[in-house]
Order: sequence, then C-alpha cells, then structure tokens
Amino acid sequence: MALLGRLDWYNLARTTNWTPGSVTEDELFPPDMSGSMGIPLSKWESYDEPYKQTYPEYVKVQREKDAGAYSVKAALERSEIYEKADPGWQAVLKLHYGAFPRAEYSASTAEARMARFGKAPGMRNMATMGMLDEMRHAQLQLYFPHELCPKDRQFDWAHKSGDTNHWAIVAARHLFDDMMVTRGASEVALGLTFAFETGFTNMQFLGLAADAAEVGDWSFSNMISSIQTDESRHAQIGGPLVAILLENGKKEEAQRIVDMMIWRAWRLFSAVTGAAMDYFTPVADRKMSFKEFMLEWIVSQFERALLDLGLDKPWYWDQLVADLDHASHAMQMGFWFWRPIMWWNNPAGVTAEDRAWLEEKYPGWSESFGTVWDVITDNLLEGKKERTYPETLPMLCNMCQLPIASVPGPAWKVRDFPLEYKGRSYHFCSEGCQWCFEQEPERYAGHLSLIDRFLAGHIQPPNLEGALNYMSLAPGEIGDDAHNYAWVETIRAARQKAAA
Amino acid sequence: MSDISQSHINNKVGPVMRQGDLANAVAEAAEIDNPGKAITVEDKLAYLRIQTDGEMFLQRQTIEEMLGRPFSMNELEVDLASFAGRIDTKADYVRFHHALVL
Ligand SMILES: [Fe+2]
Ligand SMILES: [Fe+2]
Repeated sequence: MALLGRLDWYNLARTTNWTPGSVTEDELFPPDMSGSMGIPLSKWESYDEPYKQTYPEYVKVQREKDAGAYSVKAALERSEIYEKADPGWQAVLKLHYGAFPRAEYSASTAEARMARFGKAPGMRNMATMGMLDEMRHAQLQLYFPHELCPKDRQFDWAHKSGDTNHWAIVAARHLFDDMMVTRGASEVALGLTFAFETGFTNMQFLGLAADAAEVGDWSFSNMISSIQTDESRHAQIGGPLVAILLENGKKEEAQRIVDMMIWRAWRLFSAVTGAAMDYFTPVADRKMSFKEFMLEWIVSQFERALLDLGLDKPWYWDQLVADLDHASHAMQMGFWFWRPIMWWNNPAGVTAEDRAWLEEKYPGWSESFGTVWDVITDNLLEGKKERTYPETLPMLCNMCQLPIASVPGPAWKVRDFPLEYKGRSYHFCSEGCQWCFEQEPERYAGHLSLIDRFLAGHIQPPNLEGALNYMSLAPGEIGDDAHNYAWVETIRAARQKAAA
Repeated sequence: MSDISQSHINNKVGPVMRQGDLANAVAEAAEIDNPGKAITVEDKLAYLRIQTDGEMFLQRQTIEEMLGRPFSMNELEVDLASFAGRIDTKADYVRFHHALVL
C-alpha cells in the first residue's frame, strides 16, 4: 500500500477545531489567553501556515540537527578553543550564555501559550513544535557552557542569571516577560515569533555565528546557527496571523504590538549584540560591524518582510536607523566603565587597531566616543586606575532598563524623556521607550528599575557592596578589564616609541 | 545614510543556509532551477546568503543530484537558518517569493 504524501494529509490532520458543546467558545479560548480580539473561531480556519511540518518529520529533522551540534562539539573538545580564545571572545560567550538560555524557557512558555490557546489550528500545530524547539535551545545553551564552569566561574551565570536581580537580567526579563510570558497567543505570535524571531534573533544567532566562525569557534558558531534553523520555521507562526488580523479589521492592533516589540528588541540587542560585534570580538576577526549586520538582517530583510505582510514601517524607524551610529558604543562604554557589576570581564576594545576599525566603520567615532576613551586611557597610563571606576550608578530607563545615554563630544546631547504618571516620575531613554510605556501604562507602572530600588531603600547597604550582594555577584564572578589592562601597555609602548 | 534608509526597497528572496555540503548544493540548485535569473551568493563563513530577485524555486530532485544522495525536501530545514521573502514548502520543491512587489 502506498503511503500518502505528507501534504495529502497535513491539512486534514491538523484541522482540530470543533464546535464546543458543553462550554462556550470564550471558556474554551479565554480572550485574554488567546488574544482573539473578538474574532470568532470560524474566521481562524483560514490560517494558512507557509512552513508545514508534521510531527514524525519534525522528530527526524531535529534528531539530525542535534546529532550535528553535539558531534561538532565532541570533535572539537580537545582543541581547547576556549582556552586559546582571546579574552574578548571569552566575554562574548559569557555574555551570550548569561543572557539567553534561561530566556529560552520563557520562549517555550510562550509557544505553549499558542499551542493551547491559539484559535487557529495551524498555529497550534506549529507552536507545539516551537515549544519543543525552545526547550532544545535552553538545554543546548546550558549544556555547552556547563563544561566551562570549572575553567571559569563566570560561566555559572549561564544558569544562575535567571534567578538573580542582576541589572542586565532585570532588563532582559522586563522585555521577555512582557513579550513571551504574560500575553495572549496572538500578541505572542506578533511580538515573539514575528518581531523578535524573524527579525532580531538573526542578529545574535546568525550574525554572531559569522563572527564566531571568523574567530574559529566552530563549536559555538555551529550550535547557535543550528538553533536559528528552528527559529526560521516557528517564526513563521506570525505571518499568517497578520493576514487574519488584517482581514478582520485589526491592523491597528497588530501594528501596535509589532511596533512595541521591535523597539524593545532593538534596545536590548543594541546592548548585547552591539557590544559583542563592535568591541568584544577580536578586531582581527571582526569583518562586519553591528551596523552592517543590522543593515543586512533588520533593514534589508526584516523591514522588507514587514511591508510584505501589509504592515507599515514603525513610526520611529528613522530614529532607529539614526541610532545605529551610536547605540553600541554607548552600551560598550557603560559595560566597561561599570565593569565591577558585570558577570564577565569586559574588553575595552580601544587599541590602535580597534580605533582605526571603529573610525572606518563609524566615521566620527574618534571625535565623540574616542575622546572619552582618551581620558580613560590617560588615567590608566598615569596609574590613576581609581579614576576609571564608577562612583555612581547610571540613570536607567523605566522601559528598557538600560542606561540613558547618548553621544559624547562637542555635540553632547543626552536627553531624558520624563513622564509623570499617577504621581510617580518615570524616566525614559528615548521617545520609543516612552511610547511603549504610554501604550499600556498600567502594565508597566508598578515596576521599579534598579535605580528606583536603590532610592526606595531595597538595596542595603546603599553602596557598591550592597549592590553586588543584591545582584548576586559573588567574589570571583565580578568583572574587570578582560585583558587585564595589557592594551594600556601597548599604547604606552607606542607612545614611547613615537616620542623617541 | 541614504543607502540604509532605502535598502528595504528590494525584492530579494532566497535561503540563508548554514555552511556545508547542503548549502553548496542549494546554491548550485538555485542556478539550475531558476534559469535566466541572476543568483547571488554571499559567503559569510558561517552561512551562505543565496538570493535572486522576485521569486526562487528549489527543486528537491536538483538538490538530490547536487548532493549525490537521496534528499527529501524537509531535510532542507537542517541547515535553513533564515530566508528572505516568504516561503512555500511543498513535497518536491520550495518557493521563495514576495506578495507585494516593490
Ligand atoms: Fe529560541
Ligand atoms: Fe524561538
């Protein structure tokens, strides 16, 4: 007997909607959980997922993917890639593993939300696999760094981070909880699968994989790009949903969620991916800048996809594009300056070669960010290291939870976007973050940034020691300069040579 | 800056493949299965971005021939890390395209 081809039975097999008899439709699919926006069950039948996968095929393909990722790791085990890597690259790994694995479990929760409460049968089918995908991502990205723990205790943060109130984790959790964990299926599909996964995860899981390959870290490169093959499938959950929302007059709602989540993802990635690509990756291996990767992935590919679905360019798009020139530099400067409150040793990334690269990729860098690094460098050359440490904390944005920053130099124009809401003052880094807050003020109003917590007396004693404790940064984990200031000596030698 | 603000105005479609045998086979298949179309392949070491304008077909059989081993269409996913445009997945081919031509 000939077997039916997959596509002969796929649509029938996943058509699992029925008319509920003993409960109402809203009891079966509570509107808050499904994000159904008043669209009845019958209208969801036309949801047509473009990337069709059946469960038996899924298992087969995933098995092959995992065999690939783990066998490359095993084959390279003895080549001591980590030990031989530049400390800048080691910082990339520590930042990546601290920021992402635990968030993958949140993504799994988000997929589960769609798998149960999505009103479209096709969404539920794709999200069932998406839920398993995200567990795979968490497990791979916990397994790989686990073996690095004995070599370097900072890798403990790959798992530990999610249970802490570390400032960067508070920032990541604020976004991921908002986008993945606490919204209905439709909002998850729009925010997570469309805005985040067809857009920004490509930056960290493929753009950074290219950097990893240049560095020679094939184990990491291969593993994260393998993760992105799952994303590339389940990210397609959002597209057909947009079609249904547009057909049913819900474009404004769809656009609003997409705009919020693109902005929010952009802020987080400008810090994590931006600094990793423009500073942490050793300059000799740094082929493309963060801005160039953003052009490839977010502008040419993702913005194009957004228009194709019938959505509009977000209202703030020109601002986002303008920010590409400085966002990563501002975040890097914060990372290095506040290095005692990182779980990784942060590279400075300002040797002569780095500076030449930065000026080439970001014309004007020397006149702006470069001048601040000049002061830091001079202080270190003169043995005044204490002047290169922070005495205060940066002002944090009440939406993205990242420092409020801008471009230093003659055109210094740091700007705070303040807002009074029900008697409390909020501060935002940008019009975009303020706009997100104003979309759903009650959702966000109760949250305290790390600075708010300081002022409210939650962090005791209210000094660096108290802050380290509060953020669970143990001795041996606290960050310092990744290269132990060796770069300062190369600058000293070059200056002495020039003087002689 | 002008190029960044305009670069979303394109009709490029096609797969982004993790480097390896399958990526190379897909790049060759793209040439064969889309006669008369200019195919570009950007090599980013970790991945190949394989693109053309408007529409791209990849036939299962062509990939199989390029690989020199049996290949079922859904195995493409093992190395299909991303793609530009929309995707249609069929048993014997995949197609990348846009609904809206700019
Ligand atoms: Fe994931
Ligand atoms: Fe995902």
